[in-house]
Amino acid sequence: MKYITTINEHEYLVDILDDHRVVVNGVCYVVDFESVSGQPVFSLLVDGKSYEAYVYESDSDLEVLVNGALYTAAVVDEREHRLRSAFGSGPVQSGEFYLKAPMPGLVIDIPVEDGQKIGEGDVLLILESMKMQNELKAPRAGVVSRVRVKVGENVERRQTLLSVI
Amino acid sequence: MFNKVLIANRGEIAVRILRACRELGMETVAVYSEADRQALHVRLADEAYLLGPAPSRESYLRSDKIIEIAKKSGAGAIHPGYGFLGERADFAQAVLDEGLAFIGPKPSAIAAMGDKGVARATVAAAGVPVVPGTEGEGGLSNDELLKIAPEIGFPLLVKATAGGGGKGMREVHNLQEMPLLLQSARREAESAFGDGNVYLEKLVEGARHIEIQILADEHGNVIHLGERECSLQRRHQKLLEEAPSPFIGDDEELRQRIGQVAVRAAQSVSYVNAGTIEFLVDRDKNFFFLEMNTRLQVEHPITEAVTGVDIVKEQIRIARGRTLSITQEDVQMNGWAIECRVNAEDPYNNFMPSTGRITHLILPTGPGVRVDTGVFPGFEISPYYDSLISKLIVFGQTRAEAILRMRRALEEYKIVGVRTNIPFHQKLMDSHRFMAGQFDTQFVEKRFDMETSGQARKPIPEIAAIFATLVAHENTERSTHVIQRNERDTSNWKWLGRWERLHR
Repeated sequence: MKYITTINEHEYLVDILDDHRVVVNGVCYVVDFESVSGQPVFSLLVDGKSYEAYVYESDSDLEVLVNGALYTAAVVDEREHRLRSAFGSGPVQSGEFYLKAPMPGLVIDIPVEDGQKIGEGDVLLILESMKMQNELKAPRAGVVSRVRVKVGENVERRQTLLSVI
Repeated sequence: MFNKVLIANRGEIAVRILRACRELGMETVAVYSEADRQALHVRLADEAYLLGPAPSRESYLRSDKIIEIAKKSGAGAIHPGYGFLGERADFAQAVLDEGLAFIGPKPSAIAAMGDKGVARATVAAAGVPVVPGTEGEGGLSNDELLKIAPEIGFPLLVKATAGGGGKGMREVHNLQEMPLLLQSARREAESAFGDGNVYLEKLVEGARHIEIQILADEHGNVIHLGERECSLQRRHQKLLEEAPSPFIGDDEELRQRIGQVAVRAAQSVSYVNAGTIEFLVDRDKNFFFLEMNTRLQVEHPITEAVTGVDIVKEQIRIARGRTLSITQEDVQMNGWAIECRVNAEDPYNNFMPSTGRITHLILPTGPGVRVDTGVFPGFEISPYYDSLISKLIVFGQTRAEAILRMRRALEEYKIVGVRTNIPFHQKLMDSHRFMAGQFDTQFVEKRFDMETSGQARKPIPEIAAIFATLVAHENTERSTHVIQRNERDTSNWKWLGRWERLHR
């Protein structure tokens, strides 16, 4: 099975031949890959060298924490890759931005209101968690639409707080 | 004299205090919130009592309930740990009023040092140098502070009068941005300490944060256990501490001079028990009193490692009215110790707190390694409390050995379920400036970057690509298996039988 794996904007062609042989950009490696007791910790032996990594799955990417560094990886199989390049891909820079709670916490302040124009980096909401107040900022300019929470409300992780259009 | 101690805290520090009590043959009483029923301190203590719901205000800050439990369980003393009721003079007084021992300083000393304005005025009167700022005046209004600010000069710091741990603290660079920062500092101080008062202090640039551990008994003996270097901070929260300080190094004359000033500061409030005097030290080795922490510090283990003194045991000894087990002449700093605070924070996402259940945990062990923690696999890191989940302390004969040992220990340390700042510490251990001891309190925020610092390790993107691809590949295979299995969940005959029974 062939995959195109993008690590920090650099593409690697990875071909999984069988359980123990992987070809990366034309170089064949003998590997032994184990999940450590079913956890997102993985052990990998590559030509005898031992590596251990955490692999976290986010929305569309994988994050690989290995040897004290974090790599963001996007993996698509060859067929999907061909389809994407045929139709012209890349995320479209439009639509609503949903501000989601990065962690559970208490809404301390919402310095913006519905319909307010905001600039990139403006503070949208202050969320308190673990006794620290965190300012959640706008990733781009726009107009605030639909504030879905109130000051004093407890929110769950990933709960949508408000959106920007 | 007491033989049973109630520990009015949670997490790693509750466990740390429990251990000291155990070693002294004392009985222990734990208190806990509904979120902490399974916590380690509850499981290790001889007795444990519920305080209330998870939020601190309804549990660990319920001083009335804690004292009631102490009396009911027959505990003769209360150890507050740090945070929560750790520096509350009213609590210490209430404990004494009930005829219980308070393992900490006298209420008057907590009050004098707790109001940072009063503290500065008191030690200044005793001849201890202080950082210029609003002296001895609590409760100034925003208008008054805005008027005084230009006299002190920018940049300056807005600090919470009742503060600590960087909460309610803001850096101000000009008068224009000050009103907003004052507002947010007051808001944070109000929510953290229930007191929105703030004061101003000049920001000493290029400064190091060096603190002195003090021990004092009721018989007039006051000694210091040398310094701790705490300059590596982010948002005024300490992240890594070491003892001794590489900046003081083998300047024994400077060490003793700061130590003696610290002793004098403690004596100015008739201090008893363990405490810490924090100093800012500028490039020219001038030092200024910053504040006194009238409690056990998070970073006390590094001093224990280099001096061999068990600070918590000394605290209990002092509270029992005995003399210190050591004199100033006995105190020798040997070797080097480093502590990394392992927080549930994602260093790749602006140190956002991370919550969740710890599913897998491997603690580093081996020569020269100590881990103080209150967590275990299955433990839930909740948003209610501090993000500190453990302290990793290493000891080496030299600073170089300690750094190499810390690198090794950080590599061994595996926590799954929440994101931690372990990668940050690894980067720090690899950074040339850290290795050379060239850093100040601004280092982490101004000159450290997760992307570029720590060049010592060769990047291995190919290996990361193999990991990612194999994980993605396994996921795809598993999902196809699942679909196939669901299709042939049971035999068609069984399925038909069930279907018929349903429609009978």
